[in-house]
Amino acid sequence: MRLASVAVALAGLGIAAYLTIAHYDGGTTVCAISHGCETVQHSTYAKLAGIPVALLGLLGYVGILVALARDDEPARTATAFLALLGFGFSAWLTYVEVAKLEAICIWCVGSAICMTLLAALSVARLLSAPPLGRPASG
Amino acid sequence: MPSRTMTKRELREQRRAERLAAEAAETARSTRHRRLVRLLAAVGVAALAVVIAAVLSSAGGKPAAPATPQPAVTSVLAGIPEHGGVLGSPNAPVTLTEYVDLQCPVCAEAARDTLPQLIRTQVRTGKVKLDARTLHFIGLDSQRAALVAAGAEQQGKLWPFLLAFYGAQGQENSGYVTDGFLRDVAQAAGVDADKALAYADTAAAQQRVNQADVDAQRLGVNATPTFTIAKGDGAARVLQKHDIGTLDRAIAQEAKA
Repeated sequence: MRLASVAVALAGLGIAAYLTIAHYDGGTTVCAISHGCETVQHSTYAKLAGIPVALLGLLGYVGILVALARDDEPARTATAFLALLGFGFSAWLTYVEVAKLEAICIWCVGSAICMTLLAALSVARLLSAPPLGRPASG
Repeated sequence: MPSRTMTKRELREQRRAERLAAEAAETARSTRHRRLVRLLAAVGVAALAVVIAAVLSSAGGKPAAPATPQPAVTSVLAGIPEHGGVLGSPNAPVTLTEYVDLQCPVCAEAARDTLPQLIRTQVRTGKVKLDARTLHFIGLDSQRAALVAAGAEQQGKLWPFLLAFYGAQGQENSGYVTDGFLRDVAQAAGVDADKALAYADTAAAQQRVNQADVDAQRLGVNATPTFTIAKGDGAARVLQKHDIGTLDRAIAQEAKA
């Protein structure tokens, strides 16, 4: 489960890195005609307190990967917390895309799927780990 | 078959095994309980953080209400001729065309931050003439605004109308672009509001708006504001950015070509 989580987190990291680069290299701000990533990336929801959401996602995946580097109880709890946080925020952003922006960014959907998988895997990993005092198999 | 009587040692070992099993079960139970508590705490904190983030995000996305239209920035446009929606000398060698949606807040920003310098240094000096195409992809309010803008263009006052509209711009698609609002914008721009609104209902105004869409599609313009640049009757090319530096460089490049 830990290895699967690492694989999913790496995939999410790649997506978030792409979106972050696209955000900073996307030229000046515009009102986009075409619905999709451009609309989402240039919307007012693309930043949270001035920080690009893509960058927050990138930091989230880095945090999850750091937490996955260890296999003890606090690390498993931290992974689950970060993944649940990412899952919740991804769910909110997906709602914004569908209900408010009426535009779907396929990369954002990809990241949301990664966060959903990570949340499921990390919760299962936390709950199914052997009791304390015995070595964990992951 | 009767079972064999256990020795004292076997009984001791059996009790020990039972005790260990009970201890292991208790450890597993308390571990599971502790993990569930931690998980619920994590879910709670994560949910709270997401709610705070959503509130912050929503607050950031709330645009302003429309302002009262003010007389167009006359010092910026004063004395510059406008013919058929083209601002500047008809003999200017380079044509910049701006694709806009009157509801687009970034267009309003560009009108505030970029256009005054562009007009002062490039249009007023006769190097560039500035054309506009009003698109209406943001919503119905954009369409009505674009049609009335065509009415202002008929009166040779498209650019004052655009600047006055941007100065009063409100929340996208909130329904603020009423005929009353457009009338105020027209008056602030020195446009005959009655004539402009009447023209907005004509096939000619619709044709003007449709042509803007056709031009945008032909050039692959997929955002506003977008500038295109052309020298003389040459083909227009789309500029990827709309900051003053990009526009100045493109104009200099075209002028040399």
